[in-house]
Formats: sequence, structure tokens, C-alpha cells
Amino acid sequence: MSIKRQKSGKGEKLTITNLRVFAGKKEILKGISLSVRSGEVHAIMGPNGSGKSTFAQALMGCPQYTVRKTGIWLGKRNIVDLPTDERAGLGLFLAFQSPVAIAGVGVLSLLRTSYQETHRAAGVDKVRSPFIQNTLLARRWRAAGLTVSEFMDKVKSRTDFLHIDRSFLERAVNDGFSGGEKKKSEMLQALVLSPKFAIFDEIDTGLDVDALKVAAAGILKLQKGGSGIIIITHYQRILRYIKPDFVHVLVGGRIVESGKADLAKQIEKEGYGKYINNEKSII
Amino acid sequence: MKKALFDNYTLGFRKPEKYVFKAKKGLDEEVVKQISGHKNEPDWMRHLRLQSLAIYRKRALPPWALELGDASFDDIYYYVKPIDHKADSWSQLPDEIRDTYDKIGIPQAEKKFLSGVSVQYESEVVYKSIQSMLAKKGVIFLDMDSGLKEYPDIIRQYFGTVVSPSDNKFAALNTSVWSGGSFVYVPPRVSIELPLQAYFRINSERMGQFERTLIIAEEGSFVHYVEGCSAPMYSTSSLHSAVVEIIVKKGARVRYSTIQNWSTNVYNLVTKRARVEEEGVMEWVDANLGSRFTMKYPSVYLVGRKARGDILSLAYAGRGQHQDAGAKAVHLAPETTSHIISKSVSRNGGRTSYRGLVAIPRGATAAKSHVVCDALIMDRSSRSDTYPIMRIEAHDAGVEHEATVSKIGEEQLFYLKSRGISGAQAQSMIVNGFIEPVVKELPLEYAVEMNRLIQLYIEGSVG
Repeated sequence: MSIKRQKSGKGEKLTITNLRVFAGKKEILKGISLSVRSGEVHAIMGPNGSGKSTFAQALMGCPQYTVRKTGIWLGKRNIVDLPTDERAGLGLFLAFQSPVAIAGVGVLSLLRTSYQETHRAAGVDKVRSPFIQNTLLARRWRAAGLTVSEFMDKVKSRTDFLHIDRSFLERAVNDGFSGGEKKKSEMLQALVLSPKFAIFDEIDTGLDVDALKVAAAGILKLQKGGSGIIIITHYQRILRYIKPDFVHVLVGGRIVESGKADLAKQIEKEGYGKYINNEKSII
Repeated sequence: MKKALFDNYTLGFRKPEKYVFKAKKGLDEEVVKQISGHKNEPDWMRHLRLQSLAIYRKRALPPWALELGDASFDDIYYYVKPIDHKADSWSQLPDEIRDTYDKIGIPQAEKKFLSGVSVQYESEVVYKSIQSMLAKKGVIFLDMDSGLKEYPDIIRQYFGTVVSPSDNKFAALNTSVWSGGSFVYVPPRVSIELPLQAYFRINSERMGQFERTLIIAEEGSFVHYVEGCSAPMYSTSSLHSAVVEIIVKKGARVRYSTIQNWSTNVYNLVTKRARVEEEGVMEWVDANLGSRFTMKYPSVYLVGRKARGDILSLAYAGRGQHQDAGAKAVHLAPETTSHIISKSVSRNGGRTSYRGLVAIPRGATAAKSHVVCDALIMDRSSRSDTYPIMRIEAHDAGVEHEATVSKIGEEQLFYLKSRGISGAQAQSMIVNGFIEPVVKELPLEYAVEMNRLIQLYIEGSVG
């Protein structure tokens, strides 16, 4: 009976065409084109200030940026004008580099609400049964397509997978979290929501080797489930544990080179120097 | 302008006037004598009422009560003795209020009680079993009028000793015209685990305009008293002025929880104070969601060594509302401690004010006070002010005051939206998270209703 609109699946495609992004009058991304299929892992690498985080935030529809008419296609639908929550509802997910604290809102409560909102079967929202007194509660639970205990099982299996203590679920979201805890919390949300396309913004910074391995395992699990993955990173640390299908080098708001996994290794050896010099010479 | 303030509720609802006795409009000695006469009160109470009336007439309004400056207090009825409430009909309530009840999903019987349509909430059976449980322990729990009849000596000993009629204009008003309220007496070392709720007292006048409550907790006892409810309470009378007096004796603990959600035609001017003796603990949990204008500052007078007072205050002000709430802690003995947490949310042009006092005079050695005062402003048209007063004369007092004012952050909204949560829902999550430290102290069913109400208000379904 449950209709999971958002379930990650094969054959989906996220296509970004000539994405230009401005912060005020300043152009930060100067025309990015990229195409990610279900089950693919793309790494976007670049030095500080190259526009990597802007790219992630703009895909999610951050109101801080304006986007010049362009395309972000999810399948056949251009989502560039959709508000953030609707993009999420269509299966886009962003793991934030430094997610903000929300006092008094528990991790579990956030997981439940976002699961319910992103896995809402079309039409159910409008059902207002005269027999259900509390329409707010009724609507949300029916919409989730899972019973409370099924949902809890799902959450518990993901916390165990990520070696997260279950008491973590009762803490307020990102409130007093260490850097590593924040990353784990983002990873946990990704695994519970199993989006069609997930963007990981610097998931590897601030993690020790063990935590890094766990994060990488999480990403691989998502990939196996059919999610398309974009990993944004400065270093290629996490790429030792995940072999990306494609690597793109982002410098000065442009993708200056794309290649296979060995491009990341090349950057590890040589750094971004040659691209930055190129950039300067263009200017 | 003067008249408009106390006009009937703006939605045009008019409760059918059915009453046994109704004093004339306005307030004078004749009215006060009539009230006392109708209740067959002892002479001392009649005198106290008349003295209080004289004080009420002399005293000026508090200087910050600007909203009341134009009010004509002569144009209202100060005493109406109603007949059977049950005669009134559910269908006569304003749509807005019925709608809210439907949305938060409370049962019909409860709705009728809350809306004042019926006095009888629980069945007679439940009521009797609670009363017999209390009687076994020697606990007295009555409405104030019955208390005065049955236990005149106890009442005479304590009435007006914590909040004297000369305390402020509205305390004087209440003392001169009070009716209803609760009288609670807990004998030494008796602990009542079940929270006492006003609606356990049936067949009494409920939620009057000028309620008077007196709670006496003898040495080493414990009681939790709960008043109000989170669903909107419709009232036809626009001026409400209650007084609550609490005496916490040595080693006793009293918790008093309030959820105030009057309809937005109501002016709610309340004096609440507790006197706390040696090693006693007083806890106020005070949530204000409704009314047009509320002035309420639950207070603790810490008169015995190591007495403690905790005050948790919550205020929500929406369109056309001003919540002037806060807390007062007066340390009058060594090693006393107070802890104040105030959370306020203003939205849609609403206004919240925190007005607080911490006083530690010389002699209150090694006293400690900790005040946290957080305001959340939801939009540009809303407002929040903080008026904290600290009078610290003791040299070794430990006083901390933290205050924050925040606006709903774009960053927080974006984060929650990126999880598929709509803007309105994200806002209500942020607000519910913000008030959580206070709400979690309320009895569970109230806390749940409170969260749902905030959700309803913010997601735009109501008000």
C-alpha cells in the first residue's frame, strides 16, 4: 500500500546545465554543467574559494544566492524555480558542511518529520477523515507509509551501521555536537531518507580515519541503494575509500577538468597549482 | 475609545445572559457589600473587601500599563452570579474557537468544559474518588467560597498575608471583589502525587473573573497544582484579575503550573506570589498564550535559610497581543537560591515584554540567582523588550543574568527546508524547540497540546 515517491531507483538522472550563481552582484559559479545518473559517484574537487559549497547550496535552492535562468533537471522536470522543501520532496538531499544547531529539536524528531515530508504519497495530504480527530497527526502518520515501529527499526539499523549510540537520537540537532558528530548526523539523515540524489559537502573534513571509513561505507550503501552521489571535497582523503566514477575539478567557478578516478590521484600528487595558474592567465 | 476596550468579543459572540443575581455596573461600596452579603461572609472579610476597595480607588495604575490607560473600569459588571452553565450551548461559541478545538482534537465532553458550556468535566464518580483520596490524607481542596465557610480560621490566618491588598492596584481590586478560586491545605509530610487541577472541583463557579487562590503546604509536604488549559478559553468578561497566594513551609515543595489561553478580548492582570520558608521549594511554571494584554510576574519571597524558588515563564504573543510577563525573586534569608528561565515568542505584530526583579538585600548572605531570558522575534512587525531589575546589596551574592534576543534564522529555515519541511512547519519546529525547556516541565498532556497549538498558530490554520 505504501507509495514511496522518493525511493532511490535506477535510471534517474540529475542534469545541471550552464548553472550560473550570484551572491549579490558577484558571480560565483560561471556556468557549470554536469550530469549524474542513479548509482554513480561524482567527486567535485577544488581549492578553497572555488565555489564548491556554493554549488551544493545552490542545487538545494539556498535563498542566499540568485541563479541566472538555467537548468537543474531532475529527470524531465526543471526544478530550478522550486523552493528548497519541494526539491527535497523530489529526492534531492544535501549533507551540510557545517550544519546549524536547532535547539530543542531532537535528532529523532527531525528524522521522523523529514521522512514523513519526503515520503509523502501524492494526494494523501488532502484526506481529512471526519473520524480522525487530530488531523495533523493523522495526516502525517498515514502519509509516512511506515508504521511507527517500522520506522524505528529503520532508524536503529542505520544508527548501528554508523556506530552511533542510540542516545544520540534524543539530543537536539547539532546543538553542542562536535565536528565529527555533525557529520555523522548528516550521514544518518541521508541513510534514513535514502534520497535519489545526495550531495555531500566536505563530509570528510574533521573526521578521523575510523569515522572517515564509516562515512565512506555510508556513501557506498546509498550508492548500492541506487542513489546518485556528488561528493564535494578539497582533499581526496575520502576518495581512498570510495572510487568515484567521475572526478571534476572546480576552480574559479568553472569546471576546468573532468576525468576518471585517476584524476583525483593526480591532484593528490600535483595539487591545484596548474589550474590556478591557468585561471590567472585567463584573467 | 474608552468603551471599546471592554466591548464584547470582537467576533460578535454574546453569551445569553442568565443569572441569579447581577450587581449593577461599576464598583462602589454598595456593590462590595452586596457581594459579601450574597456569600454570607464573616464580618472580617466584608471589612477587608471594603478596605481594599478604598485602596483600589487610591492607587494608580502601574506606570508601564499603558494599554490600560484608557480603560474605563466603571463600565463593567464586577459580580454576576450565574445559574446553570449547562444551559448554554456549544453551537453558540465563536467559530474560531470551535475550529481550534476540532483541530487539536479534544473530545466533545472536554470541549464543553473548556468553552464554559458545561461545568461538569469528569464524571461525578471520578470527582468523588479523588476527593476521598484527598480526604484520607487530610488534604483540603475546595473552591475559595466553600473554604471560607468551612475553614474560616485557617483562611483568616493566611488570607492576604502573602499578597496584601496594598501591594498593587489589581491586588486591591481582587481583594475587594474576589469570587471563586481554590483553597488547598496540605498537612505536614503529606505528598500528593496526582497534580490537583481546578476542574476536579465541580459544582463551583469556574474560572471567574476575580479568582482568589490560597495554597498552604505544611512542613515537608508536596503538592502540584495545575490551572488553565492549553486550548483557548472563551470568556465573555474582558477583565480578569486573579490573586494567588502560596505558603511553602519548612522543607515543603509546591509546584504551580499555569497554561493561560484566554480569548484575545481578555485583559489578564494577575498577582501570583509564594512565601517560601527554610529549605522550602517553590516552582512556578507559567505559560501565557492567550489574552489581549497580560501582566503577570510570578514571585517568590525566600524568607527562610536555603529556601529555593524556580520560575519558568513562557509567553507567546500573536496579532494584537501583548504579554507583559516575567518573574520576581526576593531573597530575604541566607543561602537562598532562585532560578528564572523566561522564553518569549512574538509573531504577527505581537509584543512580549520580560519584566523581572531580583533583590538580594544585605543580610541575605551567600544567596544565588540565575536568570536566563530568551526572546524569539518571528517577523519585523513583532516586538520584544526586556526590563530586568537587579537590586543586589549583599556583597557575596552570586548573580548571573543571560539574555538573548534572536530572530528566526535564515540558516535554520534553509536547513529544515532542505529536509523537505515546509517553511511554516520549519518555523513551528524552531519555536517549539525554543520553548522546549519550559514546556517539558508541564504535565505531559498539556505539553503535547501546547506543541500542537503552536503548530496550529504558526502553520496558519488558526489565528
